[in-house]
Amino acid sequence: MELFECSAADLARAVREGAHSVAEIVEVHLGRMDRLEPVLSAIVTPLKDEARARAAALDIALARGENPGPLTGVPVIVKDNFCTRRIRTTCSSRMLENWIPPYDATVVSYLERAGAVLIGKANMDEFAMGSSTEHSAFFTTSNPWDPSRVPGGSSGGSAASCAAGYAPLTFGSDTGGSIRQPAAFCGIYGFKPTYGMVSRYGVVPFASSLDQIGPFARTLEDLLLAMEVIAEADEKDATCSRALRPDFRKALDVTDLKGKRVGLVREFEGYDIDGPIVDALARARAALLDAGATVVDVSLPTVSHGLACYYIIAPAEASSNLARFDGVRYGLSAEADSLIDLYHRTRKAGFGPEVKRRLLTGTYVLSSGYYDAYYNKALKVVAILRDEFARAFGEADVILAPTTPTLPFRKGENIGDPIKMYMSDLFTLPANMAGLPALSLNGGYSDGLPVGIQLIGPRWGEMEIFSAAAVLEKALGAPRLAGGDL
Amino acid sequence: MALTFQTVIGLEIHVQLATKSKLFCACSTDYIGARPNSNVCPVCLGQPGSLPVVNGRAVELAVMVGLALGSTVQQATRFHRKNYFYPDLSKDYQISQYDLPICAGGRLSFRDDDGVEVSVAITRAHLEEDAGKLVHPSADGRLAGARYSLVDYNRSGVPLLEIVSEPDITSPAHARRYTEEIRRLVRCLGVSDGDMESGSLRVDANISQKVSDGRWGSRVEIKNMNSLRSLERALEYEVKRQRKVLGEGGEIRQETRHWDDGEGKTRPMRGKEEAHDYRYFPDPDLPPLIVESDRLKGIAAVMPELPWQAESRLVSAYGLSDDDAKIFAESADTVAYLDGCIRAGADPKRAANWIRTEVLRVLNEQKIDLATFTLEASDLASLLALVDGGKLSTTAAKDVFDVMVRDGVALEPAMTASGVTAGLVEGSQLEDIADKILAENEEAVEAVRSGRDPKGKKVKFLQGLIMRETRGQADVAQVEDLLRRRLI
Amino acid sequence: MAVGEKEVRHVAQLARLEVDDGEVAALVEHFNTILGHFERLKEVDTSSVADVLDNAVVTPWRDDEVRIWENRDEALAQAPDRDGDYFRVPQILEEA
Repeated sequence: MELFECSAADLARAVREGAHSVAEIVEVHLGRMDRLEPVLSAIVTPLKDEARARAAALDIALARGENPGPLTGVPVIVKDNFCTRRIRTTCSSRMLENWIPPYDATVVSYLERAGAVLIGKANMDEFAMGSSTEHSAFFTTSNPWDPSRVPGGSSGGSAASCAAGYAPLTFGSDTGGSIRQPAAFCGIYGFKPTYGMVSRYGVVPFASSLDQIGPFARTLEDLLLAMEVIAEADEKDATCSRALRPDFRKALDVTDLKGKRVGLVREFEGYDIDGPIVDALARARAALLDAGATVVDVSLPTVSHGLACYYIIAPAEASSNLARFDGVRYGLSAEADSLIDLYHRTRKAGFGPEVKRRLLTGTYVLSSGYYDAYYNKALKVVAILRDEFARAFGEADVILAPTTPTLPFRKGENIGDPIKMYMSDLFTLPANMAGLPALSLNGGYSDGLPVGIQLIGPRWGEMEIFSAAAVLEKALGAPRLAGGDL
Repeated sequence: MALTFQTVIGLEIHVQLATKSKLFCACSTDYIGARPNSNVCPVCLGQPGSLPVVNGRAVELAVMVGLALGSTVQQATRFHRKNYFYPDLSKDYQISQYDLPICAGGRLSFRDDDGVEVSVAITRAHLEEDAGKLVHPSADGRLAGARYSLVDYNRSGVPLLEIVSEPDITSPAHARRYTEEIRRLVRCLGVSDGDMESGSLRVDANISQKVSDGRWGSRVEIKNMNSLRSLERALEYEVKRQRKVLGEGGEIRQETRHWDDGEGKTRPMRGKEEAHDYRYFPDPDLPPLIVESDRLKGIAAVMPELPWQAESRLVSAYGLSDDDAKIFAESADTVAYLDGCIRAGADPKRAANWIRTEVLRVLNEQKIDLATFTLEASDLASLLALVDGGKLSTTAAKDVFDVMVRDGVALEPAMTASGVTAGLVEGSQLEDIADKILAENEEAVEAVRSGRDPKGKKVKFLQGLIMRETRGQADVAQVEDLLRRRLI
Repeated sequence: MAVGEKEVRHVAQLARLEVDDGEVAALVEHFNTILGHFERLKEVDTSSVADVLDNAVVTPWRDDEVRIWENRDEALAQAPDRDGDYFRVPQILEEA
C-alpha cells in the first residue's frame, strides 16, 4: 500500500512509531500531487518548499522526543479562502490573486498546533460562490473519477485533492452545501458542523450566518480526528460556541443503532432525483434498519422555500462582506484619478460574473424599500423552517437524505444557467439555513461515478450523525481512492 | 403682518467611550499622536476573514449613560451593519445599532443661561464604532499638487456612544447648554473625557424653522463644530440664514452643511449629493447582545453621583450657592475633594471657598487634575481648622497653603518653613513690630502727631503695614489701641 | 415587480460595481428570473413569526484589555498604494 493511500490516522501512527519520517510522507504526497495535478487542477498554490521545511522541523522535534500533536506528519490541504500568513490566499479571485494575509485563520493555527503539514491551497469557486469550481477565476478543477466532469463546489479543489490522495485530510467551507456537494461528487466524506462548532475566524466569508468550516476525509476515523482538532472554542469568533466538544471518536465504537430513529423527509420525495442516488439511499436505509434503527417519516413543509431564502440571505450578506474589496487596503487596485472610479474599476476588474450577479442581487434585496419583502421575509421563513426541523428531530434522531439531486455533471453543462446550477444545492442548504450539522458520505458507485448521500442531525447532534455513519461505513465500506487510472 | 419663526433643533452627540481597547478588537484606543496605522489588527483594518468581538466595558459605559439619562436599558439588543463605501471605513460598513439601541428614551433637564428650567427628551443612545482618519496632505503643502488623501486606521473601531435628542431644543444657546450638560455627565461618569477639540465629543445638529404662516423649512444638518462656542455660532448663523431665505419666500434645501469656524459661515458639503441607502441589516457576526439583569444591577450599584444630584446635595447639605454648587458638580473629583474636607471637619462654606479659589487656581496654573494634586483633603481641612479657630489669619493660611502645595509637606513643617506660628501676635512681640513700622515711616508718624491726618488715612496706612508684617495674625482692635497710644 | 435597466444601474452604483452596457441586459433578465423565484415566498404565512431576537446564542463580552498586534508591517505591505505609514487613495472631494 502506497503512503498516499493511507489514512491520516495510519500516517500519524506511523510517524509516532518511527516507521516513516514526516519528510518521507510529505514527499510521497507531493509526488502524488505532481503526478495528478496536470489532470485535476485542484491546487491554486502548492506549498512544496514550505511543506518540506515544516517536515524537516517536525522530524527534528520528533527526534528530540517531542510529540507535537495528533496530526503530526499528516499532509493537509485547505481551501484557498483560509487565511495563511505569508502564503497567498486568493479565494480563486483576481481580486486577491496576489494577496498575502498578515495572519492565520484559527483553523489553520489549530491544524499547525496539531502537527499537520500544509501542502497546498485548494481551488474553489470564486469567493465560494458556485457548485462546480467553474467560477474559479483561474481554472476549473476536474473530478478525479471522470475528468470531463466537475468535482462539485465551491470546495471542489479540497474534495478532489482528498479523493485523489494528495492528502488524507482536506478542509473547506460550506455555506449552502459547498463541502457536502463536492464530497458527494468526489465520493468521500465531507462534513458541515453545527453552526458555531468550528471557528470562522480568518476564513474569508461568503455569508457569515451560514458559513461553517469542515473536513473532507476518506475514512470516518480521519474525519473525526480532524473534527477533534478543529472543533474548539475561539475567543476571536463571537458565533463560535464556548462549550466543550464531545469526544467525536467514541462514535467509531458504535455497532448498532437500537432505539435510534432515522427520519426520511416526506417533501424530498417529490423531487426529481437520479436513480443511482435513490438506490444508494435504499441501501443505506436497509443497513440502518439492519443495525436496529427504525425508520420514520418526518415533514418539513417549508423546505421547498429554502432555495429562495438562501438566494436572498447569502447574497445579501455577501454584498456587505465583499464590500471591503475596494482597492484601498489589499488586493487588486485599479488605476483611477478619483475615489469613485477606484471603487468601480477595482470591483469590475476583480470580481467574476457569478460574484457580480450575487453582489448585485444581495445589494438589491437589502436596498431601501425591499428589505421587508425579501431579506426580512426570508429570515422569517427560515425561522419557520428551523421550527420544523426542531419538530422533526423530536421524531427522529437523524435524517437520511440525498446530498444532491444528480450525479456529478459535466463541465459546462450548467454554466450558462445560474438557476439550474443553484438547484444542485437543494438538499444541502436546509442544514445551513437551520444551522444543523450534516454529513455527505459515499453510498456506492454507479458507472464509475460516486453516489453521495447525506445525514442531517439536530443542532449539536454531531454524535447522532457519526454513530449512524459508523454503522454505514461498516456495512457499505469506506470510500475508495480516486484517480487510480489517471 | 411680519412673519415670526420658531427654531427647532435636534442634536446627535457622538461620545468616544473611555475604554482601553477598541469596541470590537483588542487594539489600543490611544490614537492621538500615535504613529499612523500602528494601533491596528486584522479586525480594525478590515482584513478579510477577521471577526468582531464586543468589548464588555464599552457596553457597561453605555449602560451607565443610559441609567443617568433615565433611558430604558434594553436587555436584548443587537448590532447592525450600516453599509457605505468610504476609505476611512475599513470594512466599507460600520457596525452600529439600528432597531434595538442599547438605551431607548430618556430625558435631560438643565437650567438655561437665564435660570429657566429646560427639558430635552432623548430619543436613543446606541453603540457604534468610530471610523479611521483621513488626512488631506495638500492642505499642509507636504504633497502640494498631489491629488491624494491618506488613511490612518488608528481610530478605526474606537467605541462611540451616539446620543440622539428629540428635536426639542429651541435655540442655539439651549443647544450649547444641552451639550455642556452631556459633557458634564460623561465626564462625571468617567465615560469619556468629553473633549470637543480633540474630537472625543462630536456634535451634529439638525436645525429647521417653523414659520408663523404655517410653512416648515427643511431640516439642515450641520457638521464640524469643534467647540461649544462654534456650536452656538454655527447654529446662530444657520438660524439667520434660514430665516432670511424663508422670509424672502424661498425654500430651504435639505442638505448637510459644514461649519467654517474661520469664515463664520456654514456651507453645503460638496460631493455628498447622492442619497444614502445604508442597507442596514443585523450583523451576522455578532449574536444578540444581552445585558442580564444582574449585570445591570451591578452597574447601577456602582454608578457615581450624577452632576445634578451632586449639585442639589451641595446646596441642601452644605448650604452652597447655586453657582458654587454648579462649579463643583462639574467634576466628580472636585465633589469628592470637598466631601473629604468636610468629613475631616472643615466648615463647608469655607472649604468650598478655598477649593474654588485656591485649589482650582493651583490646578489651573500647574495644568494638573485632582488625581495628581499633592495636598490631601484632610490636610486642607486641618489648615482650615486653624483659620476657623482664629489661630491663623487667612493671609497666613494662604502662605502656608502655598508651601504645603509647593513642597508637598504637611501642615506643621509648612508653618515652620513659612515662619508662621499659630495664634495671635500680641504683647511685646506686637509692640516691637509696631515700633519698627513707626520708625520706618517717620513722615506719616509726624503728620499724624501734628494733626495733619483729619480723615485718619495715615493711621489706617500704618495699621495696614503692621497687619501685613504680622501676616494678619494680630488682632485689629489691639493694633488700633496700640497705635492710638504710640501716636499721641 | 419587474426590474429594468434603471434599477440594475442603480444597484450597481450602490454596490460600486461598474457594469458595461452589454452586461445590463443579461443582468435585467437574471434579476427578473430570480426575483420571480423569490415571489413564491409570499405564499408562506410568516405572521406567527415574532420579530424578536433569537437568543439561543448570545454575544460574549470581551475584557477591556489591550493587546498589541505584531504583524502590522505585513498588513501595510499589502497596500496597493501607500505613503509611509499611510494607505493612500485618490483625493476625496470634500470640504477640507
